[in-house]
Amino acid sequence: MKILVAFKAVSDPDGWAPGVPASDATRIINPFDAIAIEEAMRFRERGDASSVVAVTIGAPRVEEQVRTSMAMGVDRAVRIDDDRPIDPYVVSRLLAAMVGREQPAIVLMGKQAIDDDSSQTGQMLAALLGWPQATFVSKIELGENRSHAHCTRETDAGLEVVSVRLPAVITTDLRLNEPRYVSLAGLIRARRKPIECLTCDDLGVDVQPMTTLLSTEPLAARPPGTMVDSVEQLMSKLCDEVNVL
Amino acid sequence: MDFDWSQEQREFRDEVVRFATTQLNDNLIENDRQSVFNHDGWKKCAEFGVQGLPVPEEYGGLGCDALTTVGVLEQLGYACRDNGLIFSINAHLWTVAMPLVAFGTEQQKQRYLPGLCGGRLIGGNAMTEPDSGSDAYSLRTTAQKRGGRYLLSGSKTYVTNGPMADVLVVFATVDPAKGPQGVTAFLVEKDAPGLTVGRKLDKMGLRTAPMAELFLDKCETPEQNRLGEEGAGSALFTHAMNWERGCILASAVGSMQRLLEICIRYAKERKQFGQPIGKFQLVADKIVNMKIRVETARHMLYHGAWLRGGGKTAVMEAAMTKLHIAESWVRSCEDAIQIHGGYGYLTEHELERELRDAIGSRIYSGTSEIQRTIIAALLGL
Repeated sequence: MKILVAFKAVSDPDGWAPGVPASDATRIINPFDAIAIEEAMRFRERGDASSVVAVTIGAPRVEEQVRTSMAMGVDRAVRIDDDRPIDPYVVSRLLAAMVGREQPAIVLMGKQAIDDDSSQTGQMLAALLGWPQATFVSKIELGENRSHAHCTRETDAGLEVVSVRLPAVITTDLRLNEPRYVSLAGLIRARRKPIECLTCDDLGVDVQPMTTLLSTEPLAARPPGTMVDSVEQLMSKLCDEVNVL
Repeated sequence: MDFDWSQEQREFRDEVVRFATTQLNDNLIENDRQSVFNHDGWKKCAEFGVQGLPVPEEYGGLGCDALTTVGVLEQLGYACRDNGLIFSINAHLWTVAMPLVAFGTEQQKQRYLPGLCGGRLIGGNAMTEPDSGSDAYSLRTTAQKRGGRYLLSGSKTYVTNGPMADVLVVFATVDPAKGPQGVTAFLVEKDAPGLTVGRKLDKMGLRTAPMAELFLDKCETPEQNRLGEEGAGSALFTHAMNWERGCILASAVGSMQRLLEICIRYAKERKQFGQPIGKFQLVADKIVNMKIRVETARHMLYHGAWLRGGGKTAVMEAAMTKLHIAESWVRSCEDAIQIHGGYGYLTEHELERELRDAIGSRIYSGTSEIQRTIIAALLGL
């Protein structure tokens, strides 16, 4: 069974400072996608997957994150070379083309990227492929014969368990696992593996985003909160000052 | 002249910070108080690749050059605040693993190096004796040859990693009359008959790096465990010390960088008399000195490693690097505490521990005075 795991390189929220252009910010694998890579590695280590292929989209500078995925242990990695602004619809069409090439039984990816928080790619990909989907998943168990996956989803109403027929698209939530750290030996091994590079033309996908980013602005600063000394004081503020009770 | 790191070196340095920040900083205050060695951290460091950094790949290491190695150790010291754990790793690397690489037989390398790199074996070094420290070659431990084995007798002290070492490099003389030419090194395993590991030595700093006394009572060591030729011990020790002095304080440079950043942040946040304390010239002056110390220390560290990577022995550079970093580290720790005032004096702020750890660097691997003696001698004085 092959797993295709898709990831996005995003700006490191811990490595960013005001005034630093986004292009200069330190980049990392989107943390939810790192969880997807970790889960794929665990599938392979348990013998449930025979190979894991990672795929991302971006200019050559994302190769550092591609190498990180290889250092975590993925068997092969593909970079789709494109640096144009793209939206989840374009991404899901590119990934659908990759699924056509790789024929995986499971596509794993994070539930959302921490930069734009769109949370649409996995769902759109499943729709384009006509595959079942399990999103926001915090636990995955394979059924007998690996024909189904029982996925626990975190919803506002509580934990929901769904069974999806494979092949399927699964998007990962925070509590699924804790990704392994990359070892130096892993990085050296990764340097010796080739990174496959494809273009949108190779995949037969015409990049025409359906959305356009108009502007990005920082949030207005919120006024600081106040500390109260007692429940009585809290109740009095809620009832008399802000009138919510 | 190129002062930039390669892409690979940058990746290594970034990854070690990510790894160490999250994996090595639990229970530091309590482990220091109780003198607890972090076995789990040791294993994680080995899995990550620290213990194999400069060891050739065919023996389970990563085969990194000296500059890459110190670059990674610097970042380890920046992100890992357990100086004792790092000191244990340094002792293991420079006085056991690297002498094995340089002087070991093929059989010895195959037997020990994969375990030493992989975290399954811990190495310790036994040179110092109760009556020989800086004058190392006046040691009294003897090695008598009996057939295909040696019988080692004597006592050793300040043996870093002694309480938990699986294999120890023990120095003894095969003939006291020969002076330094009689000194010979042996690989002694922890369960060798006649070896007793004594009490754990309580100490001021580096408390998470256990140290012990060793007693050798006709300790049986097979001939194939002699490391190098008879009488080659002093050459081996000089070789090991040269590497150690050039590299052991790489992590201290990282620590100094961390202290500098902590102090800058605090000097901007802490307000007294209506302004951030960093605006007071007496505080800013201390931080400027910390910055200059870390930069000069870093350049000496890199330059020495670069020379060593090019095949030079760089004896004077190693002595100067060791001396300069040790003295700078102590002074920057003192400055960091002073800038933080009462907060800096509290255990919970972890600066007082840093100072206690740093003071050891003036003593181990040759005191600051011995480094000056070496430099003076090489200047022809």
